[in-house]
Amino acid sequence: MKRKKATGAARIIKYIVLSVLVLIYLIPLLWVFFVSLKTNGEVMTEPWSVPEVLHWENYASAWFAGGLQRATLNSIIVCVITLVASILIGSMAAFVIGIMRWKHAGKAMNLFLFGMMVPVHCILIPLFIVFVRMHLTDSYLSMILPYTAFALPMTIYLMNGFFKSIPWEVYEAACIDGCSIYRIFFTIALLLSRGGIFVVGLMTFVGNWNELLVAMVFTDSPEVQTIPVRLTAFVSPYATDYVRMFAAIVLAMLPTILVYSMFSNRIVSGLTTGAVKG
Amino acid sequence: MDKVLKNKKAIVIFLTPAVLVFLAIMLIPIVCAVALAFCDWNSVGSPEFVGLDNFVEMFTTDRVMLIAIRNSLFIVVFSLITQQTIGLLVAAVLSSRGMRFRNFFKNIYYLPCVISSAALALLFSFLFNPNMGINALLAEFGIQGPLWLMDISWDIPLGMWVIGGVAAWQYMGSSMMLYMAAIAGISENYYEAAEIDGASKVQSFFHITLPLIKPMAKISITMSCIGSLKFFDLIYNMTKGGPSNQTEVLASHLYNEAFGGMRFGYASAISIMIMVLCIVVSGIVNKAIRVEDF
Repeated sequence: MKRKKATGAARIIKYIVLSVLVLIYLIPLLWVFFVSLKTNGEVMTEPWSVPEVLHWENYASAWFAGGLQRATLNSIIVCVITLVASILIGSMAAFVIGIMRWKHAGKAMNLFLFGMMVPVHCILIPLFIVFVRMHLTDSYLSMILPYTAFALPMTIYLMNGFFKSIPWEVYEAACIDGCSIYRIFFTIALLLSRGGIFVVGLMTFVGNWNELLVAMVFTDSPEVQTIPVRLTAFVSPYATDYVRMFAAIVLAMLPTILVYSMFSNRIVSGLTTGAVKG
Repeated sequence: MDKVLKNKKAIVIFLTPAVLVFLAIMLIPIVCAVALAFCDWNSVGSPEFVGLDNFVEMFTTDRVMLIAIRNSLFIVVFSLITQQTIGLLVAAVLSSRGMRFRNFFKNIYYLPCVISSAALALLFSFLFNPNMGINALLAEFGIQGPLWLMDISWDIPLGMWVIGGVAAWQYMGSSMMLYMAAIAGISENYYEAAEIDGASKVQSFFHITLPLIKPMAKISITMSCIGSLKFFDLIYNMTKGGPSNQTEVLASHLYNEAFGGMRFGYASAISIMIMVLCIVVSGIVNKAIRVEDF
């Protein structure tokens, strides 16, 4: 049984509309890329033309003068540590809740899921006060701790699902063979859910890489600031060295675009599993 | 088997880090925020209990708060309408059979969701600058473009519409992705049966697709509303709430009161407002979209 194919005209209109939408998505990104390769004079006189001479030196200037090299390093440090911490801590908790026999597992799960409802704004002020007293502000830890806490609910939820999707016989066999619970967790549960860990990790990484509010509140100095904060401080519509700011914007967007183009399918599957299960 | 899985020591070891982080960074701070919301405190000295004063001030003397509530609700409604309808329509079209370049379209539309809002906001603040970007293009055709983000002549300033548009541009892809996943889960048999009965594509969409994606619609709408209430990055990097506070939203107002004005008590009250609004809105969405379990 074959369904009727849409008529020719309807098909063409469909593709035209979708292509216009593609243009709406690509033009702003291409625009900033083009103007980032011009001179300040060209930006003012012909902001919409394709650059004739490519001024790649704008990028060097943004990278060093804007402090982006330090900010990129900071972002990598903060995001990687958060990633490892939240996956490790989260999967341990998910393992207890999903696989081990514990009578309060359901309550624990609900407690963690409640975390999904909490806006980060609510903890900003109390944490700020505590961090100031403990001299924790302006450090990597001041970002890593909140990021980890806010990554936990989703991590626990998804890892719980991945652990449960491993056939029960696998756990049983390991027990019969005399495996300790720690070995079951590290060499069976974690190893068999690597695909899931990868997806959860990507989502956590991209989310934290782009986070602005927490990083802005808890840090002051360029030595620890992440890319979004550095960029916000560096770029201002009232400054005059436009091309350098445009180059900085492109440099800030590039890492996640690259990660996305490499792993788009897995990011997408992570997003949808997260939502379907959530 | 049971003995291994009931290992008390292992349970404690596995659970302690998560519980500690969660308690220290989330639960205890929330309790503190609730307590602070009823206090007056400027970070020096000790908090002074003032009862409901902060909440009274919010709705009476604080004019910026009223603007912020209006703008936040505007963003909620605007994103809801644009993001959900466009996202659903695009998802339906991309899911249709014989669709070419499906992954290409899908990946382009979703791309902005993984880019930092802060960077995108700066990009668009240049595009909607009165002299650069779009207005420079309009000038080529002799059209004098509006002031965009600086224009406050309307009831809801033009800047809010622009920012709402940018938000829709950025997040349409995530709604589309969710709806595509939901549509992919619908059995092809329904559509074939409908076609045999002579239903048109449009009829199939309204009578098969729409009812069957309700659970996903609930998730997508809830996520969009909560995201809109927490809205901060775009506002902060496009207008900083200006001109004259006209584009302030709840989160930016909270930020200014707390870290500009050092009014920690009052800002905590605003943060509690945001949380309550999030809970209320998801409650309303949950009630409004009834999902029958088959």
